[in-house]
Amino acid sequence: MDSDCLTLLPAVCLVLADPKQSPPDDTSLEKLLDWFKELHSQSDEQVLLQHQPCLKEFISSVCASKTTDPAILSFTLKLTGLLAGTKQGFHLLEEGGLLVCVFDREAWCVCDLWEDASVRSGWMQGLLNMLKHRQALDFICQKGLIKVILQLQNDRSLFVACLANQLLVHILNFLTSSNMTNGGNAVGSSESSLSPDWVSVSTEIMTGEVEALSSDDHPRVLQGLRLLSSVTSQCGEPIRSMLWKDVLVPLEVLINRGSESLTQPLMSVLQAAVRTPLLGKSEYKVEKLLEAMLGSGNKKESFQCAALIIKLEKCPEVLKRKAIDIILLPLQCVSAQSQDTEKMNLVLKEQLSHKASCISLLMQSLSSLAELAYTKYQFDGIPIHSVTCSVVLLLRICFGNCPSSLLYINTSTHLIGCCKVQRCGLDTLGALSMYEENVDLRKDIFSVLLDYLQSPDSHATVLKKTYQATVRWIAVCSPFPDLLHFISHDLFPVLEKRTCDLRWEVRDSTLEFITQLTVALNGNIGFIEALHTSGMVSVLLSSLADAEGYVRASAVAAVGEAVTSSFQQTVLVSNSNLLEEALKQMMTILSQDTEGFPRRAVVKAFTSWLKGSHLVTAVHPSLSSVLSLGGNDFDWEVKMHTLELAEVLMEKTLTCCPYAVQNFGSSEKTLLTQALSKLKEFGLFDLLFNCLFDCDRPVCEKACALLLKLRTLISECTDFDYALVLNLNGNRWGDEVQSRYLNKQARGSVCVTNGVTASDERTDSDLHCIKDISLPMILHILDLDDMQRTLRLSSDHVVNSARSLMEDILSAAQQSEENTVDCY
Amino acid sequence: MPDIKVTPLGAGQDVGRSCILVSIGGKNIMLDCGMHMGFNDDRRFPDFSYITQNGRLTEFLDCVIISHFHLDHCGALPYMSEMVGYDGPIYMTHPTKAICPILLEDFRKITVDKKGETNFFTSQMIKDCMKKVVPLNLHQTVQVDEELEIKAYYAGHVLGAAMFQIKVGLESVVYTGDYNMTPDRHLGAAWIDKCRPDILISESTYATTIRDSKRCRERDFLKKVHETVERGGKVLIPVFALGRAQELCILLETFWERMNLKAPIYFSTGLTEKANHYYKLFITWTNQKIRKTFVQRNMFEFKHIKAFDRTYADNPGPMVVFATPGMLHAGQSLQIFKKWAGNEKNMVIMPGYCVQGTVGHKILNGQKKLEIEGRATLDVKLQVEYMSFSAHADAKGIMQLIRMAEPRNMLLVHGEAKKMEFLKDKIEQEFSISCYMPANGETTTIVTNPSVPVDISLNLLKREMALGGPLPDAKRPRTMHGTLIMKDNSLRLVSPEQALKELGLSEHQLRFTCRVQLHDPHSDTDTLGRIYTHLKSVLKSYSIQHVPDGTVIVESIVIKVTSSAEEPNLKVILLSWSYQDEELGSFLSTLLKKGLPS
Repeated sequence: MDSDCLTLLPAVCLVLADPKQSPPDDTSLEKLLDWFKELHSQSDEQVLLQHQPCLKEFISSVCASKTTDPAILSFTLKLTGLLAGTKQGFHLLEEGGLLVCVFDREAWCVCDLWEDASVRSGWMQGLLNMLKHRQALDFICQKGLIKVILQLQNDRSLFVACLANQLLVHILNFLTSSNMTNGGNAVGSSESSLSPDWVSVSTEIMTGEVEALSSDDHPRVLQGLRLLSSVTSQCGEPIRSMLWKDVLVPLEVLINRGSESLTQPLMSVLQAAVRTPLLGKSEYKVEKLLEAMLGSGNKKESFQCAALIIKLEKCPEVLKRKAIDIILLPLQCVSAQSQDTEKMNLVLKEQLSHKASCISLLMQSLSSLAELAYTKYQFDGIPIHSVTCSVVLLLRICFGNCPSSLLYINTSTHLIGCCKVQRCGLDTLGALSMYEENVDLRKDIFSVLLDYLQSPDSHATVLKKTYQATVRWIAVCSPFPDLLHFISHDLFPVLEKRTCDLRWEVRDSTLEFITQLTVALNGNIGFIEALHTSGMVSVLLSSLADAEGYVRASAVAAVGEAVTSSFQQTVLVSNSNLLEEALKQMMTILSQDTEGFPRRAVVKAFTSWLKGSHLVTAVHPSLSSVLSLGGNDFDWEVKMHTLELAEVLMEKTLTCCPYAVQNFGSSEKTLLTQALSKLKEFGLFDLLFNCLFDCDRPVCEKACALLLKLRTLISECTDFDYALVLNLNGNRWGDEVQSRYLNKQARGSVCVTNGVTASDERTDSDLHCIKDISLPMILHILDLDDMQRTLRLSSDHVVNSARSLMEDILSAAQQSEENTVDCY
Repeated sequence: MPDIKVTPLGAGQDVGRSCILVSIGGKNIMLDCGMHMGFNDDRRFPDFSYITQNGRLTEFLDCVIISHFHLDHCGALPYMSEMVGYDGPIYMTHPTKAICPILLEDFRKITVDKKGETNFFTSQMIKDCMKKVVPLNLHQTVQVDEELEIKAYYAGHVLGAAMFQIKVGLESVVYTGDYNMTPDRHLGAAWIDKCRPDILISESTYATTIRDSKRCRERDFLKKVHETVERGGKVLIPVFALGRAQELCILLETFWERMNLKAPIYFSTGLTEKANHYYKLFITWTNQKIRKTFVQRNMFEFKHIKAFDRTYADNPGPMVVFATPGMLHAGQSLQIFKKWAGNEKNMVIMPGYCVQGTVGHKILNGQKKLEIEGRATLDVKLQVEYMSFSAHADAKGIMQLIRMAEPRNMLLVHGEAKKMEFLKDKIEQEFSISCYMPANGETTTIVTNPSVPVDISLNLLKREMALGGPLPDAKRPRTMHGTLIMKDNSLRLVSPEQALKELGLSEHQLRFTCRVQLHDPHSDTDTLGRIYTHLKSVLKSYSIQHVPDGTVIVESIVIKVTSSAEEPNLKVILLSWSYQDEELGSFLSTLLKKGLPS
């Protein structure tokens, strides 16, 4: 808790209460309120109360002024509620009638401020903040505010209406909280378990709710349903069951009336009820209502209901199966599984004959099927083969590639080329790979996927989905020998074409797909051979020169993976050539590419090679260039990736380095010194120190963490050889180290440790002259722990602090010029 | 009646972030998907749960349209498409699609820099989001689906900024995004044709301002930079990577060339080349002057502006540096600012708005001592200048656009409530159209009265013409009578006879009858005579006949008088008329109920 803030608070209150001042920046008031809330949550309200004179004065002066800005009034309402959230605060504000004055809606109506939605919203937010104790509820009831809240449920502002619902739920919830009830929270416990004082409150709200549900006014019914759904899911007993008893009749009427626009909100109510013990009690008719909503698939809303029922986690199985039957109907009918067409009713026929409803129905059907597939749902009575075939057939129809004799109704005209259904269908097809039994259908499935990949009409987004589905199917079909045939004879030629597509989106998705494929089939010798002998690799290499940065980056990743895979196939003659060519082109990208993404990808590829289990000594000569170029890059993320590369290099070299430093059988000391010398040769220390003083915090933080790791390692080695020296001159970071050293000396805090060599124990002027300084000395001079502490904080923690906010409010008020609202 | 609904989730009486929902002809469209730079948490994004609580935006929205690349218009897009989940089409112009990722990456960097931030997206998400974008050309009509079409118009403001016309059937909405009605150094002025939309949704940032000429501001800017450089000072201009930076670069480059100045100008981000690449690529989107001179010299190939290295900041002597980010949040611009702040010879020019919680905001508020790390303070001795170069239409420009497009209704967004109020009154007065300014979360509903095209049979037209009157003229609507046949999704107006024939129906006569009682001491014949005389005096332009069989006839209305033997003075007047004369029949019955003049 910053005491400076409390010192500034009175002045801030004065500025905010001054009607002549324009209110501060629109976010400032919210952020100030955040600060008050934080105090509140830290139980620092005592501190706030100590400052209550200024806060009380602020509130009363806002109340007294009828020309207050709506933003300030809204803030005041919220703040007052927050302060009155404790009993003590409540009493302080109630004294002298301040609380009544603040929440006096009539007064704000008179001066037209109530017209402003932010004031109405602030008023309710204030009540919400306040409603933490019994007295607050007393206040709300005695002042007749429940009625106002019920009215605000139908406010013209969505935000206000939503808040009103939230407040009503909070009130009802509050009635059942432990300090308000006589106990008893079982389902069906009656009003009697509610304190008699509060029965009227709940009755008022519930009557309002019943009236809303019985209303002819559609928006009112909608709000009523939203409240019912919130109460059901958020309130405890006895409120929940009491309300359900009351609303059951109008709810049944609404469901039986079958209004399409109410399907979603009605289902939300039932969804909420299913998650509660109400489901098990027949008198609450939850299951019956769900059944009524669903009908027998002969209503327009049935399909939407079925889609929603499928999502319920705790749904009676019979109902779920019925819903599945209904939701799959459109798919089965369109894809002409003739035995199902008999089930097709008039409503479905009608719906499928119109383009918009046909598409919407099929999308519902497909996405529900995908959801079931993700949970590997076991269908009853419908073979998964048949469902999968329907999806394949539908995808063919959408592609315009289906014999018309198969079509029972002429929906194909709606579906040919329809991207929406294509995307959704491909997603579903991908999800259906969850079922092992579908593997038998792989020929058909790969065939339809290939059709999509080959078609010149396929939209870029459709192709992306096709790739996603293909990867999934390839992953499950990888043990089958015919897969390799498919990949090398069918897939690769298409991919080759697609890497030359006019659309960068397609080229990029294709390269991403190849990368995923290579990763997924990592270790599959047949695939690796096919990849390296089919000419795909040279296609990937040529993509490195693509005109689009995103594509170049994806090509780098694909080449990277191809190189990795080649390490496993040492017999491949092309290996060395590939690596050589890849390194050459990647280094060009890292040094010359104008966009950050490809440069980032290059560094990532190096990291991945180095991380791998294979010995990749061939990349070593390039490492120092990568570290140097990456560390000096304009793009902060290239620097971050370079530091990640440095980390891997450090780990490999310093810990279990089987290849970087040879084990000469020498002492631990020699080994470490050798390892560090190796790292020095790579230019790793230059990178770390340069990055430590970078302007971007994440870069500095990462560099600092790595240097701390290094420091720990060195300090653990008891007889470390201090001969490893670094040159300060000509390095950007050298000046920083020198100035910090001088600062330290000036403070007399330099404590020369035993380990510092004689050459390090020199005077300031000496230091200026010397070029070389040992690594441990540098690590000592830099107060890395302190740096890390600061770097761990957000880069804007100072300017975004509460104190800074208050200073901003005060300085804005002192500015004589009007703050012109502007934007970019 | 069909209606159009507009609900701002952002930009309703504020300039924080734009996100406006429009429902038109059963289609739902989101206009812009911006983020609020002033918040570090979820509050910076629009609350999409108000659109659909189940999070299925793809099912609800038919498309998303992004007007330009500024973050308050597109910053929430990857969050919406990749994190909340939206798979539908996103439309923006080609330059916006190319430049958007750069700005989003810039924002991502700032987000990562500030710790503890939630809900930010990755580079991969930005790319995946961009793959969903359908790029548009100006004036190209794009069919989103069979009913919904959109068309982009030039908006000025920034490279690639566009206004959009959204049309479903005959109903249409125009959304301006941010626009500028006066050309600047590198962009032209906004333009739209007379499309007469049902609603024109316009930004109103400078609703009450008549802006001074941009030339004055430019002169002022150059003068200040020049003076500082002349006295050996350094000038820092914090900018966002793309946009205004390029405009100012052209300005300085030309000035440096003209004055033969030697002080170096640097651009810090390494994005100069990339930014200029886009300006070259989209040269057709710049103004005429740049396009003309392009053949001789590309304005975006700068001779004097070089890439910046952070060690240059310590070089002695004058220099000008463009550095990102634009509000002095963090990064390079802040690092340079800290180095130069202590010298009164130096200057920082803020060319745009700064949100609270940034150093930029503080120095613009005149704070001279800034707290930095570890309670240390930084004395701000350098000169601080604010020069708004933001390119928005002022009040005059907004009125000019209304004159261009001739909308039926106006809706103001992206501005301050008080200023909007003023402009709203002005618009309603001058153009006699309704003007709305909904707050965030408030829905404005506008009832439309769409004209429905109907085929008219030639026979009916001929008959109408035979009846005399002027020839049909599209500009002078006139009433025609006929029977409307709605069949096979077509509407035809034909003569009643033809309708009967076509539909195989026979004609039925429908007559209304009414009895009126009145006291009159005269005989029935005399009473009828008195009625005739009375009607003659009241209905002067009608043909009224007194038929000898004891009836008075006015058009199709037949009037008879009867009385009973018991009460001869009580007359019962019988009126009967056909449906065509319903109005006249009612009038006569009311008239007679009042009695006859003595």
